[in-house]
Amino acid sequence: EEPILSPAARKMADEKGIDHAAIAGTGKGGRVTKEDVVRHAEQKPAPA
Amino acid sequence: MANQFDVVVIGAGPAGYVCAIRAAQLGLKTACIEKWTDDKGKTALGGTCLNVGCIPSKALLDSSHKFVEAQKDFKLHGINHSGVEMDVPQMVARKNKIVKTLTTGVGGLFKANGVTLLEGAGKVLANKQVELTKADGTVEVYEAANVVVATGSRPVEIPPTPTDGDLIVDSTGALEFQETPKRLGVIGAGVIGLELGSVWGRLGSEVIVLEAMDRFLAAADEQISKESLKICKKQGLDIRMGARVTGSEIKGKEVHVTYADSDGSEKVVVFDKLIVAVGRRPYTENLLAADCGVNMDERGFIFVDDHCATDVPGVYAIGDVVRGPMLAHKGSEEGIMVAEIIAGQKGHMNYDLIPSVIYTHPEIAWVGKTEQELKAEGVDYKVGTFPFAASGRALAANETEGMVKVIADKATDRVLGVHVVGPSAAELVQQGVIAMEFAASTEDLALTIFSHPTLSEALHEAVLAVDGHAIHIANRKRR
Repeated sequence: EEPILSPAARKMADEKGIDHAAIAGTGKGGRVTKEDVVRHAEQKPAPA
Repeated sequence: MANQFDVVVIGAGPAGYVCAIRAAQLGLKTACIEKWTDDKGKTALGGTCLNVGCIPSKALLDSSHKFVEAQKDFKLHGINHSGVEMDVPQMVARKNKIVKTLTTGVGGLFKANGVTLLEGAGKVLANKQVELTKADGTVEVYEAANVVVATGSRPVEIPPTPTDGDLIVDSTGALEFQETPKRLGVIGAGVIGLELGSVWGRLGSEVIVLEAMDRFLAAADEQISKESLKICKKQGLDIRMGARVTGSEIKGKEVHVTYADSDGSEKVVVFDKLIVAVGRRPYTENLLAADCGVNMDERGFIFVDDHCATDVPGVYAIGDVVRGPMLAHKGSEEGIMVAEIIAGQKGHMNYDLIPSVIYTHPEIAWVGKTEQELKAEGVDYKVGTFPFAASGRALAANETEGMVKVIADKATDRVLGVHVVGPSAAELVQQGVIAMEFAASTEDLALTIFSHPTLSEALHEAVLAVDGHAIHIANRKRR
């Protein structure tokens, strides 16, 4: 099932081209917050 | 080059001016074209909303509501006065001053953000050229990397009641009456008709509202629209559903209106003024050159995709001139989305969560799905309601009419709709909009602290009532 992203998380993930399903959501019921997207982007630097 | 821009926006209403400001903020060289002029022939920014729509109608609604309160409710508080009068020209003058302040303010924002204002009528030519026809008839052509059409809408005219600007008027004329009409007719029991009918009804007009549809506020939740109809009728609005207007005749200073009643019989009503408020249609007059490549749909709206892109790359259309609800905040958000897309961002807009508000008193507002929509979609849902009569804050304010209704998905508990008729309905629904943007469950809202005493508590209690544990009303037994 498609994960639930907060409005800011959705925009940031789309801007960075991150697959929504790949982000570990820490919000209630696995919801993805902007903080989760920031953390995800830090962990996985874009391939050179 | 003076005649080259990154973005040329046609129209400076809530969609166009917001788009222009956002585009300029993003570093795009932006121009905005507007042809609207005030009574002194000066360009007026802000479009329908600021000049003859949202803002002026709210100014009159607020003034007229204060008058009613002073007349009917002050004694209850122990405030005695020897008689209250309404000076209608002063009320309208105050409204005009507010409009002037705000429209001038948009000009100031354009300057502050570096948006170039082009005064005159804009036309989309082929190859993203825009033709500007000024008031004196001179024509200039601009080269635009991107064009945004935001030309808005205008009132729908119907053949049985052609407006004459005096006895039969549209919404614009109804904001300019210099005295309270004794007998006022309104065709259309939609948002505009109800708001304008309320203003003049409060000031003493005998108001009859003729509505062709059988169901009142068909887009609203049925329980809320029923409650709202009851309240409106109690306030003296004579709302006649299923009444189809077939003709009108001006006899001296009177308008005789003929309509077919729901039972088929023909009736005649006589008014001193008649407001035609049956709807609005997209405004595209002289806008598109034949070879510009932009297409319209069968209803005259400019055809766009989910991102407001037309059939021509680099040409966008936003606001009332495209599909979707004709609301200022819808147009503005589309304007921001388009500006951000032009600047290379992932512009996005959530069409599922556009709130609706009717500024009667009490207000009517909602967001998300209605109970009848969910029923039709076969979604299993649960409902919680809370009446303002049980709210301490509402009692203190002497504003106890109405209710809050929350609908949630039965399986996931996700909030699917928030519907309110009552005091500060729009603000309460906005709390629902924020919650729903974050996909909140009713439990999320239940676990949130609401200040006491506030009207917002009615939302909290309605949310609690969804699972049968509201504190301040007896909960209905769960099936």
